[in-house]
Amino acid sequence: MCGIAGRILGAPGRVGQDLVSLMEAQEHRGADSTGFAIYGSIRDEGYVLRGMGFDKAKVDADLADFTNVLRDHGSDLLSDPTIIRGAEGHYCFRMEIKDPADLAAWTHDADDLSHRIEVQSCGRSLEIIKDTGSAAEVADKHGVREMIGTHGLGHARLATESSVLPNASHPFWARPFSDTAIVHNGQITDYYTQRAKLKRQGYRFLTENDSELIAVWVSDQMKAGLTMQQALTKSVTSIDGVFTFMIATPDGIGFAKDRFAMKPLVVIDQNGDLAAATEEQAVRRVFSDECDVINYDGPSLTGIWGVGNRSLAA
Amino acid sequence: MSETIIDVGERHIREINQDIQAACVRGEKVRVVNTLSRHNLGIGLPANADVSFEGSVGYYCGGLNTGARVQIERNAGWAVGEGMDKGHITVGGYAGMSVGAAMISGTIHVKGDTGPRCGVAMKGGNIVVEGKIGYQSGFMAHAGKIIALGGAGESCADALWQGEVWVAGEIDSLGVDVNVVEPTAEEVAEVDAILDPLGLVDSSRNWRKMVSGQRLWFFESRDASAWLMI
Repeated sequence: MCGIAGRILGAPGRVGQDLVSLMEAQEHRGADSTGFAIYGSIRDEGYVLRGMGFDKAKVDADLADFTNVLRDHGSDLLSDPTIIRGAEGHYCFRMEIKDPADLAAWTHDADDLSHRIEVQSCGRSLEIIKDTGSAAEVADKHGVREMIGTHGLGHARLATESSVLPNASHPFWARPFSDTAIVHNGQITDYYTQRAKLKRQGYRFLTENDSELIAVWVSDQMKAGLTMQQALTKSVTSIDGVFTFMIATPDGIGFAKDRFAMKPLVVIDQNGDLAAATEEQAVRRVFSDECDVINYDGPSLTGIWGVGNRSLAA
Repeated sequence: MSETIIDVGERHIREINQDIQAACVRGEKVRVVNTLSRHNLGIGLPANADVSFEGSVGYYCGGLNTGARVQIERNAGWAVGEGMDKGHITVGGYAGMSVGAAMISGTIHVKGDTGPRCGVAMKGGNIVVEGKIGYQSGFMAHAGKIIALGGAGESCADALWQGEVWVAGEIDSLGVDVNVVEPTAEEVAEVDAILDPLGLVDSSRNWRKMVSGQRLWFFESRDASAWLMI
């Protein structure tokens, strides 16, 4: 059991604050880890990276080696990275980088360092913040409430299939596809088979979390030519297990539900000002007045909500 | 009967439920307001209590009811009236997944549609739905009746045990091990007797009554592949 949330604002604003509220309301669904994916303003060039290093005593050596890999790919740091340290052994970072010549090639080489320092999001606008702890703890540590953007995702984790580790929490970045993130409530039962197939195509997975697969699977289908809607529809019959997942891009948020209708999804959509969550009481934290609520309770449901009525259908 | 107003808001659910119980014991009618779709409201209500919820409620509202009359103005989340022993629950709008799960007796009346697995594992009582019942409704129901006036979703009456699913309107598809039988006039009269106090009798309905095919009663693991739907 996990809790997931999505939020699209009618106009850019404090999406971080709303996502924290949505996740505080669902803390009872899983409080071992919490994470957020936030879409801020879109850069014309350069990427924002978010991630973590696993030994905070080695931050200088990690960053030196990491920067060398960037330079090998024609990129570099655009400013000093921000380092966030807590009581735990790991540290988190945010950095802005110049475009690498080939994003997938750079990601591949950067991931050779992933046992020390792991990139958890890469985007023109996407930033993924995740850590062990409750919504309030993660929000306080990383300043999530102050984050401005157009839309985003949230996740409260109750680990059922893999360990509680800061990097095994959601959201997951669709490595190496920039600006794509997912949150998932459920279990993927054919995870190892699906993961092995994608690994043979050259994709890398950095955790034992089954949800990491979904983001890459959907993005790979889209790379092969499917629209997001087609990929979501195909996921329902191709991925085995119980799931409700949401996948976000700079254009909006898509969702898919399994064939057995096991995991809920509740949405309030007021002309594109939208909140989605596992539980209705969570979306009511954002829309407290009695209003129309859409229950996506049935099996095999998919859909996409655009940001600012931007269409994702094309 | 005097009416007590109980405000939900951000208060702890235990405190709210204690307030509701205390008012019921005093013989007062209870109106619960500002519900914010919160879970576990009005659990284990006593016999003869009269409790109404303004707006929408979350999961398990009216669960373990022992004889109260419960009115929910708008929507209910998962498992409204779960495990109820006696009483009458009315949902004004939509009721989520697993309406009346494992209920023993009493009546749940939903004016809108329901989510999946309405009446899952129910042991008795009646669920009357004016709209459409969701996917796999009646799943493993042991006894009791699910009566849907507005059709049924996919996999209707899946793996039904000894309960009955009555549907007027379209059925998207049937579940496994279901027999659709022609009800007798006496059986229709029994259903009409359940609908009558709700003002829902309509003699022009074309009923389909679903009961267990009884093959799953003698399930053998070597036959498992015959039952796999996926």
